[in-house]
Amino acid sequence: MEYLVTREEIEKVAKLMRIELDDHTVHIDRVQKMIDYFDILDKAGIESTEFDVHEKSINELREDKHIPYDDVLVKKLKNFKGNYIRAPKMV
Amino acid sequence: MNLGISALKYVEEIKNGSFTVEEFISNTIEQIKKHDGKLHAYLSIIEKTIEQAKNLDRKIRNKEKIGTCYGMPVSIKDNICVKGAKTTCASKMLENFVAPYDATVVSKLKSEDAILLGKVNLDEFAMGMTTEFSAFGPTRNPWNVDYVPGGSSGGSAVSVRAYECIASLGSDTGGSVRNPASFCSVVGFKPTYGLISRYGLISYANSIEQIGPITRTVEDAAFLLNIISGIDPNDDTTIDNKNEDYLLNIDAGVEGKKIGIIKEMVSQGTDKAVVSATNDSVKKFENLGATIEEISLDMVDYSVASYYTITSTEAGSNLARYDNLRYGFDFPLEGYEFNSYISKARKNFGPEVTRRLIVGGFVPSAGYAGKYFLKALKVKKKLTDEINEAFKKVDFLIAPTVPILPFKIGEKIDDPVALFLIDFNTVTANLTGKPAISVPFAISNNLPIGIQLIADSMQDKSLLQAGYALQQTVKLPEVPI
Repeated sequence: MEYLVTREEIEKVAKLMRIELDDHTVHIDRVQKMIDYFDILDKAGIESTEFDVHEKSINELREDKHIPYDDVLVKKLKNFKGNYIRAPKMV
Repeated sequence: MNLGISALKYVEEIKNGSFTVEEFISNTIEQIKKHDGKLHAYLSIIEKTIEQAKNLDRKIRNKEKIGTCYGMPVSIKDNICVKGAKTTCASKMLENFVAPYDATVVSKLKSEDAILLGKVNLDEFAMGMTTEFSAFGPTRNPWNVDYVPGGSSGGSAVSVRAYECIASLGSDTGGSVRNPASFCSVVGFKPTYGLISRYGLISYANSIEQIGPITRTVEDAAFLLNIISGIDPNDDTTIDNKNEDYLLNIDAGVEGKKIGIIKEMVSQGTDKAVVSATNDSVKKFENLGATIEEISLDMVDYSVASYYTITSTEAGSNLARYDNLRYGFDFPLEGYEFNSYISKARKNFGPEVTRRLIVGGFVPSAGYAGKYFLKALKVKKKLTDEINEAFKKVDFLIAPTVPILPFKIGEKIDDPVALFLIDFNTVTANLTGKPAISVPFAISNNLPIGIQLIADSMQDKSLLQAGYALQQTVKLPEVPI
């Protein structure tokens, strides 16, 4: 089957999403099928439709209050040092 | 002891002294031990529930103040946080995550003295319609254990149907409460968007997902909605429902109401038994004094593509936080560069989540957003306009909850588009924010069929009244377990 979206394009996105693919063929084939199905949107006839964007001003948001919490959350993580999360080196 | 009683009956029996909370909880735990090895509804059992039951019995004996649930056993989908309990989202990524706080719905249930028995299975991160995509194995349908129970709240529906609790909370992003309710012959209710707080629900697609009750009767769904609905300062999308009593006048009936059959949802691909059940339900409504007309919603044909485009995009953003640094599993840091470490860690997502994340990165990306994501948003808007127009003519819309009967485990797992189409009749309510309910209506070849009713926004109460009216017209067999 001929797909509109190429495997290379999907692989590039997977890499950007930081997803390492082992079973390349299965994943890419199925993602291609899914995206191919979305082409039905071209037939919806919605070119002139405008969608709403709901905006909220910062004044409408609840106050950012400190909520006391008895446990030290960082200690629930596997890798931490003092009050910091430990992460691998960024080179 | 009849473990199959409704929540309201349970409360009545406890008040009458027919049995104690401890007796009911003990028997329910025995039921779980006896059947859950095969059904696999539960992922974890919450400790000390017998002690809670004893404490409530003592309060009842001493005539102390007690919450409206009277120790009713409830299961919670494992993507809803319960403080101190594992909340895994059925994912290896959160296998050992213990929630540090209660979701608002959980706080509300606890404050009314519900006993939370355990956390129940789902498709990983609620992405699926069969509960086959759980990293910890599938849940099985109690009507036939070779068949899927629907999803993603499959564990919730099965635990209710198999008498492993009285009620459950699920989440519904594209039908995940209604679909398993239909496949297992229980009631599934998705409220108006914003009616129930999502605080403590682990996010998948925030703009459309809602928590909803799964119960044995429509009255029980109304009873739970009374407890868990309402405005929440921790969820800015919640709506003030003015403390509406959803149970009051539940038997108001549908005389004089207008009901529209959604033409596109009873189409060529619908199973004959499902079409027949839908026609029967329409006749029942006519007999109850409602008038029926056909309604066409053109955008329904594009709704599944719109739904998956939007939800995958939101999932791509929401699941970006799973990097194995803040949440994750045993996997040493040493020897890895930052990006390669995260890529390696994210391999622990299951196959369906991985695919949806890739889709979610692709469809809003530069060069493709116009073709997919923006069109999906336009379909969502046009579908909302269409359904709003429909509700100027009718009070409710009706359609089968799922176009097909439950199918065998593994039958459709390799075909993503076939799985997409299971959602065909349910995603409309999510994309438009409307309330919808699945009511058990028929059994065909020993497999359940549910009927879906949809109402206009904030008409949740009248929707429950219509669901109750339909429920009262049918008497279904007990599940063969």
